[in-house]
Amino acid sequence: MSNVPTTPRANRTVHHPTTPATNRLNSSHITQASPHYTTTRRHSLYGVEDRVVVDPGSRIWKVGFSGEGKPRDVFFAAGKEAQALWKLSRTSDPQARLEEDKMLEVRLRHCLRSVFHDSLLTDPKARKVIIIETPLLPMYIKEMMARILFENQVPSVSFAPSHLLSLMAVGRITGLVIDCGHLESVALPIFAGRPLFPRIQTTPLAGERLTSHLRALLLMFATYLPPPTSLSAAINVPAANRATRVPPEVLSDLVVEEIKTRCCFVGPALDSRAKFQEEYNAAAGGGADSSSASSDVDMMNVDAESTSSHAGFESTTSSQAGEVSSEFSIITNSQAESSVPVSSTVRSEGYLEALASMYKKHSTATDLKMRVTPVQQTGTGMGTLIIPGWIRERAAEVLFEGDVDESSLAETILNALLKIPVDLRKTLASSILVSGGTAMLPGFIPRLHSEIIRSLLTPTPPPSRNSDSSKRRPTLPQYDKYSTLRPLMPYFAILDNPSPPTAQSERARGNAGKAPAFTPAMLAWVGGSLAGALKTGGSEVIRENWDELGEEGDESNVHADDAMDISELTTTATPKKSNILPDWTRSPLRPGAPSAIAAKLGAPAAGAHAAVPSTPSTPAPPSTSFNFSRSRSSVAT
Amino acid sequence: MAPSVLYHCPCLSTSSVPPPPHLPSSSYSFHPLNTLFFCEECDAVRCNQCVSVEVSSYYCPNCLFEVPSASVRAEKNRCARNCFMCPNCRNTLAAVPADPPESSDGRISGSVNEGPYILYCNHCRWDSVEIGITFEKPTGLAAQLQKFEDSAPDSLEFDRLKEHFDAFLRQSALAASTTAAASAALARDIPGVGKYNPLARSTNNRGYGKDKSVNRDEMTEYRSRSEISQAAGGGELDVELMNGLEEVDEVASLDQRWESSWVSSMQTKDLKPIRIPLHSKRSKRCPACTHILIKPEQKSQSVRYKIKLVASNYLPGIVVVLPHVRQAKEELLKRNLGKSVSAQAEEPSVGMVAGRSYEFQLNLTNPLYDPIEVRLSVQRVHVSTAPAKEGVSPEKAKRPPFAISLPTTKFPISPFAEAWEYEDDEDMFGVEDDELGIGPTSATVKTTKDKDGRARPKTVGVLERKANKTVVGGEIVIGKEAQGSVKFNMLVSYTYRSDDPAPSESGDMDGHNARAPEIKTFSFYTVVDLGPIIPREEVKLDL
Repeated sequence: MSNVPTTPRANRTVHHPTTPATNRLNSSHITQASPHYTTTRRHSLYGVEDRVVVDPGSRIWKVGFSGEGKPRDVFFAAGKEAQALWKLSRTSDPQARLEEDKMLEVRLRHCLRSVFHDSLLTDPKARKVIIIETPLLPMYIKEMMARILFENQVPSVSFAPSHLLSLMAVGRITGLVIDCGHLESVALPIFAGRPLFPRIQTTPLAGERLTSHLRALLLMFATYLPPPTSLSAAINVPAANRATRVPPEVLSDLVVEEIKTRCCFVGPALDSRAKFQEEYNAAAGGGADSSSASSDVDMMNVDAESTSSHAGFESTTSSQAGEVSSEFSIITNSQAESSVPVSSTVRSEGYLEALASMYKKHSTATDLKMRVTPVQQTGTGMGTLIIPGWIRERAAEVLFEGDVDESSLAETILNALLKIPVDLRKTLASSILVSGGTAMLPGFIPRLHSEIIRSLLTPTPPPSRNSDSSKRRPTLPQYDKYSTLRPLMPYFAILDNPSPPTAQSERARGNAGKAPAFTPAMLAWVGGSLAGALKTGGSEVIRENWDELGEEGDESNVHADDAMDISELTTTATPKKSNILPDWTRSPLRPGAPSAIAAKLGAPAAGAHAAVPSTPSTPAPPSTSFNFSRSRSSVAT
Repeated sequence: MAPSVLYHCPCLSTSSVPPPPHLPSSSYSFHPLNTLFFCEECDAVRCNQCVSVEVSSYYCPNCLFEVPSASVRAEKNRCARNCFMCPNCRNTLAAVPADPPESSDGRISGSVNEGPYILYCNHCRWDSVEIGITFEKPTGLAAQLQKFEDSAPDSLEFDRLKEHFDAFLRQSALAASTTAAASAALARDIPGVGKYNPLARSTNNRGYGKDKSVNRDEMTEYRSRSEISQAAGGGELDVELMNGLEEVDEVASLDQRWESSWVSSMQTKDLKPIRIPLHSKRSKRCPACTHILIKPEQKSQSVRYKIKLVASNYLPGIVVVLPHVRQAKEELLKRNLGKSVSAQAEEPSVGMVAGRSYEFQLNLTNPLYDPIEVRLSVQRVHVSTAPAKEGVSPEKAKRPPFAISLPTTKFPISPFAEAWEYEDDEDMFGVEDDELGIGPTSATVKTTKDKDGRARPKTVGVLERKANKTVVGGEIVIGKEAQGSVKFNMLVSYTYRSDDPAPSESGDMDGHNARAPEIKTFSFYTVVDLGPIIPREEVKLDL
């Protein structure tokens, strides 16, 4: 069993890496030339050089061959209407979880098979596969994918981290990459080709949140015209008489998705918003907390409830500190406004209405009419959904307004910067890269840049909270989280910013908007294609090894395996198969690791290097990266 | 939804018993009969999820050109001849001569065949002039467009990136090897330095001088061929476009844009025609014994198969019918003859109401040339002794919401004979029964007929036998509190007499079967879906 990781490891130890970058890229290059590779070479119409590159998102998959500039096929993993393949959480009930896993496996199998048979029309036996993984992809999903792929006889599977690949797609190996996907946004600093995994920052403010927020906004502020009951009514009855609120049934997932992808964009930050906030507070007389904070999901439930319970909800949550940052995500039932006399509730809803009207006033975006399938086929033709322009422009505000628990996108980036060593900050701040499907919203990246600057300018991220608390305890010093980052302000630059602001520094000028014009959603895939063409791209898991493990696993499930000791030190309960999959969370093995591990690894010199597996999906051991970066930064800056 | 019967393929689970049908994941274990295969070697059902697939040929679904496998790669799995899809509606585009520039009486036939030619969509009237694509001749359109594709900015940029990283990798490999050699030399000369402690490494680096280490980590800066800030689309332009958007349709939908990896226009009017993706003919193998289950003929025009072991040739086909629904539909049709739209709205009201009992019929068809005897048994999720009374009891949490009664005895289905295919249904009635009476299974037929005659009013049992079809009646009692849909697993086991494992070869062989026939049994699971239950108090129960 000791031969499991031998091939890659032996190759890696050949080059004693002084720099992580060379080590990583180089070693996998060598792995490519392992004997296995030559023996499995067989005649195939494509040759086996090109690998299959799969970017499996929770919703959308991109697949193609390495060495090509764009994917061959893109598809919804579980159908257009279906939800994401997996979620951020799993159910705890064992029965339900079993069912959930079964569903996931069936769908994954369906997708992976269709990649080979429908999208690429290729034989899985002849193709190595690169799976582009987000760093926090759960192990059980990786294991499931690997199992299904090996069941279909692929020769090898490698997992490559999406953030690093995105960086490669813009021709770099150093940068701070934020990936705004469907389930979450993940910021990961990468230095010299080594992802600094312990410095990872995530926030659930991503595509899914945007969808639910958009739906909530539409339910409250959009207008629905049911189809006219007869053809003559279409002419005689004015549209205003037919207008109703939007029934929730009309807003199917498909419709909301279409609005999100075809109608929404991100407007520039409104300077007047903070001003508006103050004015409103002054006009309303101050005093009580001005608003309540709640998530859209809660509000969706509230919408369905009666107005009285709605009021109760408002009063309970209004005790929470109102924050400018999350106020706009409050969706309230406008019908409740007239019927609930509680002053605070009315105020908060009035505030929301005022905010909406403020957006309305400042938004020049046009209202859109969209044909939607009516709830009941009562009249003639299709229903019409009127989407206010300001919703199109401001729905994405939710991504830029974090709160205490869920930091905004800008804050996520800044938090990641705070965690990385001081001497790297300037370099990484000036090479921010935005990838992921949510970043495809027009205007998203320029807005993100201005949000970063804004969070640095304002003394505190949630100003209203501080103003509130300072009213009570005026002596409290303001907590300035990002003060240490403020000097970096002129250096901030987003590599793939399509319209960068005028640069404040030479470094920012050299970086902002200098990336090739690949779309943010495709960066990871293009990088994967590049890695495949360069014969790098992560540590490979070879089918023979996998099958071997499987046989031994079948013999006895509790059989303790010598080669497994490394991973068993950390996790004993994981299934055997997954132990040969690269997993950065399970390798606490760094040069200065506890002696028990070092002893188990055998020869100290070789062990130390084997313990730093130089794959992109294994962690950069913090200590080395520190040393490394310190010695480097003096040169670089 | 019409009631349906799906067949179980055991590939997803290790146990042979199928999952209970109310779990959503169970739907993936059951398939329509026409998508299933049957492996004779393993004597097992195989589905599309478990067979291993091999491509036997590639062809364009539009022009049916067989693409040699060598050129599939270069053509990116798409037709490289004249076949294009409309970017808006995915209809096939036709290459038509463009209108001559002057529309005044220049419609003389002379100019028609000269071109230029354009692509035109007969469905949505899109034409390629909108995006400025015209062709000199109406053939080899893809080749004429090829030059645009070759110079696509994404592939050029990609090549540049590749060169950039190639150089870096070469350089770093070189550097790494020299470093290794140098450090090895150092370790040899000075004993204490050989250990790879971080200090040694960092001093080592420093010792090498700044220029070299800079080259190794900080890759030389990559200069983009076309920077995103200079790109034609994207950025503020898109924001402006979205801001002033008048119609949703102006912006291309996600699936029209998502394949492009290069920043491009969002507008529908800039969409390019799509080359039609190739299809493949596939042969499929049994995952266990790797015997071929289905193998199509190579030619793309042919729809025949060289090998075809489909399950419908081996397993009895089952069609489920709800007589009351059919009757209601027929009445509805009669009433609404002429009225068109309103019928749809009424249709859902025909269903099964909770607290009542209904009959249903299973039509079984024998595809074999041998007579078979079939036994049906309903798999119960919860074991119960009195299934008939079961549904009435109100505790639905513990007990299933409905109870099924089906004949539990074996019943025969006559063999399939091709001659019957040529006769009209009406002729069959009188003749067939007589013929059957003379046949080898006469005894069983008689008894069932007798039984049938007695059991007529019961509706449970064999209702009708005709050619190789047998109709079996069943009854379902739905509990008062029942919700959801009536779905149950049914085990079908049938015995057939054959010494030949491939009974489908020819009818003559089976007719003169001299050797002692061997009785074989095969059983498989199905899920019968009778449709949703309509709650009794439909008004009170919302949702």
